[in-house]
Amino acid sequence: MSIEPLMEKQIFPGTVDALEPIRKYVAAAAQSAGLDRKAIYRLCLAVDEIATNIVLHGYQEAGLEGDLKIGTSLEGGSLVVLLEDHGRPYDPNFHSVPEAEDLDLPLESKQIGGLGIYLALDGVDDLQYLATDGANVHRFVVRLPHSPESKT
Amino acid sequence: MPLQMSPSVDGNTARLSLAGELDGASAHLVRDAVDGLLSGRPERLMLLVEKLTFMASAGLRILIFAKQKQPSLKIYVIRPQDTVIDTLKKTGFYQGVYVLDSEAELQA
Repeated sequence: MSIEPLMEKQIFPGTVDALEPIRKYVAAAAQSAGLDRKAIYRLCLAVDEIATNIVLHGYQEAGLEGDLKIGTSLEGGSLVVLLEDHGRPYDPNFHSVPEAEDLDLPLESKQIGGLGIYLALDGVDDLQYLATDGANVHRFVVRLPHSPESKT
Repeated sequence: MPLQMSPSVDGNTARLSLAGELDGASAHLVRDAVDGLLSGRPERLMLLVEKLTFMASAGLRILIFAKQKQPSLKIYVIRPQDTVIDTLKKTGFYQGVYVLDSEAELQA
């Protein structure tokens, strides 16, 4: 499978001030890859939710400082976003997310935790996590519109 | 676009106009604004969000905060963009608020 870099990798500080420029970076990549408006939004939301968790839980709460490195590529009919950090490891796939019955709860009874990861998982076709040699990598995959089984 | 807010109170109705992007960086500002508006125990909280172009889960948590602080509060979300509506629907929050195209619908 060929891997074609889409946009130059960028490094952002691991703080909440980086969230907006990260979204802009992802939106630009998604637009150049041909995603439609809603798919761009869902992808930006997914990356934003994970980036927020990294900043708050991976760095701040862990008493660590670090960067967020982000890159994009086209791989086998999909747009791939890689988000790398060096904070406390945290696999989003092992976090509890709202179940179907939780979604029907009244507002005041809803769980506060898990919403961000729920939106992140919902916004992309695949979200993978890999922790190795002190680096954590989140891999967001969105199938392109002309690909089979596309979300859009 | 950085978040811009405009809170106001008119009788038993509190209003908060939001424009721009509500994310983990700006959420605490919105929560503080909502907290301040609820200090007067209004019956309704109108969120004017026509120009809110992005809302992360932090925005949803503010809705939970408002309802937990004041369970009797009625929350109206005025003219949200379709992407914000999608988020409200897929997380089950749509049923917990009143989504209107305009405040005038409330008077009708």
